[in-house]
Amino acid sequence: MGMIYCERLSISLTGAHPSPIAAAMHSLRSLRDSLPLFWLVLALPGLWLAADWARGAIDPIDLIAPTGEWSARAMIAAMLIGPLAGLVGQRGWLRWLLARRRALGVAAFAYALLHLFFYALDMGELAAIIDEMVLPAIWTGWAALALMLPIALTSNQAAMRMLKRAWKRVQRLAYPAAVLTLLHWLWIHDGASVALLHFAPLVLVWLGLAAKRIFSSPPLKQAGA
Amino acid sequence: MKTLSLSLAVALAAGIAAVSATPAAATGKVTCKAGPQSGWKSMDALTAALTKDGWTVRKAKVDGGCYEVYATLPTGERVEAYFHPVTFEKLYVEQRGKVLFRKEGY
Repeated sequence: MGMIYCERLSISLTGAHPSPIAAAMHSLRSLRDSLPLFWLVLALPGLWLAADWARGAIDPIDLIAPTGEWSARAMIAAMLIGPLAGLVGQRGWLRWLLARRRALGVAAFAYALLHLFFYALDMGELAAIIDEMVLPAIWTGWAALALMLPIALTSNQAAMRMLKRAWKRVQRLAYPAAVLTLLHWLWIHDGASVALLHFAPLVLVWLGLAAKRIFSSPPLKQAGA
Repeated sequence: MKTLSLSLAVALAAGIAAVSATPAAATGKVTCKAGPQSGWKSMDALTAALTKDGWTVRKAKVDGGCYEVYATLPTGERVEAYFHPVTFEKLYVEQRGKVLFRKEGY
């Protein structure tokens, strides 16, 4: 079955008769480079959790932590790509990642909204939510979400064109948002080691980048800058 | 540069391995050495006692050898509380990471 499918695909794409293996490689490559597929993969954990909730297999209280963790993971992944490019230079896989940075950032925001949704559902009433907002572990979460909002809203070509150089400044709100996210996670006191391990790669690439700048730039240039 | 990206990859892999090796159950907030579970009182009995005190229990489970309860206090705060599974003594209460009560020695 697979053979027949691949052969038909290769004919429609090239008009020639390449080997079935070449055709299979081609379709694998187009899957790897498919942006819609990447969005779908990012949505899978959320769809999985939402499906569990919809069929009553899991309560909102148990969905708060996992949705928050997925938000942090997507945020960290998005923020790793830039420094990695600075560290290792132009690479094929980095271009692949750079083309997906926006998707990761938007996913971080979407999971943060889902996190808020299940939190609100678990709290049940607005008054209780407002009462808790003064707690360090809670306001840091709200503040991180508030900073992620303008980033998410400007994550499109139209906003990029409109804001020009200011666009970069908006995106840099990700740094304070990441710090607030880490504090939110640490202060909620639900596994500090897991929180620190999640953020460790970010610290590592930043340190790597700083080390590279110190050791590789000629002294003259350093003085001039 | 190759060695740098390699060491980065190794560090990342080690981090991921460490995260996935961390047991999800025990949060390490409080630990009870209460002996075998056969000697414990039931979780339902704890929930009933707390309900009588005006608490609204939303979830109860075992964590660190104690009973861990997610509840709403009579005063409205959402808390996470730990109880000794044999004596039902209150050991620890926190509201979103803010410690409201901790029994001495725990």
